[in-house]
Amino acid sequence: MFDEMLDGPDARGREPYRSLLSWLEDQDFTKLRKQSAQAEDLFRRIGITFNVYGDEDGEERIIPFDLIPRIIAADEWRRLERGIIQRVAAINAFLSDIYHQQEIVRAGVIPASLIHGNKAFMPQMCGFTPPGNVYTHVVGVDIVRTGPDSFFVLEDNARVPSGVSYMIENRATMLQMFPELFASHRIQGVGDYPKQLFKSLAESAHTFIDNPNIAVLTPGIFNSAYYEHSFLADEMGVDLLQGSDLEVRDGRVIIRTTAGTAPVDVIYRRVDDEFLDPLSFNPDSVLGTPGLFDAYRSGAVMLANAPGAGIADDKAIYAYMPEIIEFYMGEKPLLENIPTWRCSEPDNLAYVLEHLADLVVKEVHGSGGYGMLVGPAASKRELAAFSRKLQANPSNYVAQPTLALSTVPVLTKAGLASRHVDLRPFVLVSPNGIRVTPGGLTRVALKKGSLVVNSSQGGGTKDTWVLEA
Amino acid sequence: MLGRHADSLFWMARYLERSENLARQIQAAFYHSLTRKGDDLDEWASIIRRTGMADSFDAKHDTMSMANALNFLLRDKTNDDSVISLLAKSRQNARSVRNALTQEVWQSLNESWMTGSEALKRPVNIRDLPALLENIIKASSVFRGALYGTMLHNDIFNFLRLGTFIERADNTARIVGSKYHRLLPTAAASLGGSDQSQWEVMLRALAAWRSYNWLNKGHLDPTAVATFLIFDNRMPRSLSFCYGEICANLQDLEAAYGTSYACGDSARAIAQQLDNGREADIYRLGFRDFVSSFMADSNQLTLAISADFNLGP
Repeated sequence: MFDEMLDGPDARGREPYRSLLSWLEDQDFTKLRKQSAQAEDLFRRIGITFNVYGDEDGEERIIPFDLIPRIIAADEWRRLERGIIQRVAAINAFLSDIYHQQEIVRAGVIPASLIHGNKAFMPQMCGFTPPGNVYTHVVGVDIVRTGPDSFFVLEDNARVPSGVSYMIENRATMLQMFPELFASHRIQGVGDYPKQLFKSLAESAHTFIDNPNIAVLTPGIFNSAYYEHSFLADEMGVDLLQGSDLEVRDGRVIIRTTAGTAPVDVIYRRVDDEFLDPLSFNPDSVLGTPGLFDAYRSGAVMLANAPGAGIADDKAIYAYMPEIIEFYMGEKPLLENIPTWRCSEPDNLAYVLEHLADLVVKEVHGSGGYGMLVGPAASKRELAAFSRKLQANPSNYVAQPTLALSTVPVLTKAGLASRHVDLRPFVLVSPNGIRVTPGGLTRVALKKGSLVVNSSQGGGTKDTWVLEA
Repeated sequence: MLGRHADSLFWMARYLERSENLARQIQAAFYHSLTRKGDDLDEWASIIRRTGMADSFDAKHDTMSMANALNFLLRDKTNDDSVISLLAKSRQNARSVRNALTQEVWQSLNESWMTGSEALKRPVNIRDLPALLENIIKASSVFRGALYGTMLHNDIFNFLRLGTFIERADNTARIVGSKYHRLLPTAAASLGGSDQSQWEVMLRALAAWRSYNWLNKGHLDPTAVATFLIFDNRMPRSLSFCYGEICANLQDLEAAYGTSYACGDSARAIAQQLDNGREADIYRLGFRDFVSSFMADSNQLTLAISADFNLGP
């Protein structure tokens, strides 16, 4: 198991962490733990909280924040950045292709059934080109590490990735609590992300409008990411809207304001496709705006990300990402995929059933760590039950080896202890280029030995430092 | 600004003002009960009646007692107008328009909700009551300070202030109306010393006890109390003062949006009456009718504001 701080050539730890380690040696841990409690209190007072689905009291919680930063060296970051840009460029080319000519299917690289039989494929998008030909304005690429030079992409989030507010608030909190660390390290900034987001959205919309009216669309105050929606709207200086605030009148999208009405040109939507427009997608949805999709197709409004972009982060498509990157970019992937068995294929299924205890099995359309089997951590009974589910509907699953995820120490009652982490950098796409904010959200599994970093299942977060060259 | 957001701001300020007003009334009633002999529960019943909570109280409690009243008014989550519910609603509204508020304004609301819900988790010990009420009132002061010191004085600010002053005028009118018989000129002659405390409790509930005494050299007189609470535009909880503020904020909105509104005209008409009013007028019209027609006009004004500015969901 690789620890990013401690597994260096000597007791001084790995190079990027040396200065932090010597600082830690001077710290009074009782005081650090007190500061940790203060940080969480600060999060509550600022209201960086989330609602848990199904919680009857409607109590709000905070995601635990660990004070020990995760550090990425400049050269490590350069490598990641190049790989991420390549991957996200390929994802946009792929989306443009499958909603137009479908060259990749014709070339026999991807089976047609995987596109047309896919719930995330949206036929309504066929033949339509979004402004600037950008499909995924915001992407979160989940990356795991297993060794000094081994990085893998765990999954792509091309729909409505969340977590970016934690990246920014974690940094703000660290700056406030440990200014001396920022004086002794040269750390790349993450705070201008909202401005970059604004700029990036405006650049994409440039094909149809200058100085667009941008708004953030939220499912509402009870959504688990509501804080982030209001944070981004606030930082960008734009309106935070719900579906019922929008109206389509004479082909234009408008809101009712205190002084009459006002147009909306760009919607950074944080609601899922099926809740955008009851006329075009889910007729049962009360969240959406009737006619929004028609207004979108007629070019009156831009939606970010584009509807139908979700097919690019589908776990069945994920298995083909190396081929997709080669097909559109004409080069080998710079970042590796995790080997993935598609259970829809009989040979793969047989292998997966035989090695279930060693594998991680995921639902193709699942997210949030739900519906997932972690073989090595499962009991015999759980394995048997999952095996039955798997055989009943093989094409609903993919399997991957259990990776020995890298660890970074966290602060516990007993001092420092290593815990598994992953990393979600945030990527902005506009016709002018792809930009990765130097940093990201480090999620950490706070339970000893656990590999599940999701906040809904006991994960926490850390500030993530990318050092300057 | 989105109409729904303006509505949330308006009600956020109203709920907070209402929680402050309720805390002040409880403070006054508590003081009253401690300084009088015997078991006088009229003040508690009066608060519950004039704030429109009587049915809901009766549905939950068989008898009136200070403990029941305190539980119901302060910490009953099923009572929509208890202090804890009001703080939660105000904070919920603020959360839905967070990006219209500065960090300091939001935190003032969030923190009063956090400390309020912590303090009201368990039944209130009488010994803790004064500090608890003071904290609720202080929350409003901190909010006001943050509002004036950190917010742009623009339409967002105007909708917040409208909420505050419409609620405040309504509260003052309810208190005056519920005790109108104590304010008739005949009251002075017919009432003995014990009922002087009625004026005191009324003035205390409106944070006006000291200022009244300061202006009147301690002389308690029903006509002076009534004109002070209704017409004195130096007193921040008088009807006249509240309508001055309502008109000023509506005028700001008219200037900002470059048009005039029906609600602006209604507010100015009400303010005009209060400006020209003299104690002789209210007694000639009939005190009770004066107060109830004021409250009806005030409700109409809220509806007009809502219609003119696209408030509401």
